Amino acid sequence: MVMKASGGEHRARCCVAIPEIDTSKCISCGNCVEECPVGIVTLVDGKAVITNPEACSYCTECESFCPSAAIRCPIEIVLGAPES
Amino acid sequence: MAVSTDFLRSLPYLANLAADDVERVRRDILELSFDKDEFVLLEGEPCRGLYVVKSGRIRIFKSSPEGREHVLLVAGAGESFNDVPVFDDGPNPASGTALEPSVVYLIPKKTALALVADCPAALGIIRVFAARLRRLATVVSDLSFRSVVSRIAKLLLEMAVAEQAGTPIPRLTQDEMAARVGSVRDVVGRALRTLEKAGAIEIRGQRLVVTQPQKLLMLVEDYDKSRMP
Ligand code: SF4
Ligand code: SF4
Repeated sequence: MVMKASGGEHRARCCVAIPEIDTSKCISCGNCVEECPVGIVTLVDGKAVITNPEACSYCTECESFCPSAAIRCPIEIVLGAPES
Repeated sequence: MAVSTDFLRSLPYLANLAADDVERVRRDILELSFDKDEFVLLEGEPCRGLYVVKSGRIRIFKSSPEGREHVLLVAGAGESFNDVPVFDDGPNPASGTALEPSVVYLIPKKTALALVADCPAALGIIRVFAARLRRLATVVSDLSFRSVVSRIAKLLLEMAVAEQAGTPIPRLTQDEMAARVGSVRDVVGRALRTLEKAGAIEIRGQRLVVTQPQKLLMLVEDYDKSRMP
């Protein structure tokens, strides 16, 4: 199954976060496809798409290699208790 | 292609040399070519000599044990680098990569040292200065990284909110954080890892949780104190 990440409309906020992709900015360079360590980014019709959101570790590699700022990995900044 | 005497004489290091000495440098000098992103020299390796850029640009940077990089210099045509280890006898204090296809001259260490061999007093003074420069380069790179860590700590203290229904949660990419603290994404990523290691924050996927705000505050205050005269 292919899920589009643009606008985050398929994102269940509490569970899996995936990068936001603005397809209008994507220039099909393929950097994100090459750099994703879990290989879940592909180009569909020349636009980056995340194919398996559950596998995304939110490592932000795709964002760091995108030359046109089409992929964003915003980080939520909250106060909270340590996990352990 | 052999290097011209005029080029050598245009270098501050060699401007006042006798013709014989310039000729010796000309004979010993090596011309090396590098592709974009290729390493010219590596931090910690034995020093081969003094480098002078013929064409292109070389980025000289120090890396910390955690892998952070601090650019000390971008050397362009006619500029030298790796001067320090030639004279203080230590290893290369920084690494260098070509920012674009570049040609670099290497004056072997032995040749460079021979130029001051007949003046032990000068050699002694240069040694002391070189050792001081080496230490300063480390201090500068530490300070500049600490200032980014402190500014990021401040930003997180200002922005972090407790999760409550109706409270909008601030969201920033690492590029946006970098823009706010006057740094670059790479350094911000390392600063965040440093804060995580210090136990001040936890990064859980897309969420950065400030777990110990008082630790962030301490980092900010310590840094501010260290800058007081
Ligand atoms: S954040 Fe990491 S794992 Fe997720 S899509 Fe980007 S590169 Fe792949
Ligand atoms: S790196 Fe950016 S521009 Fe390149 S394919 Fe991926 S989203 Fe598109």
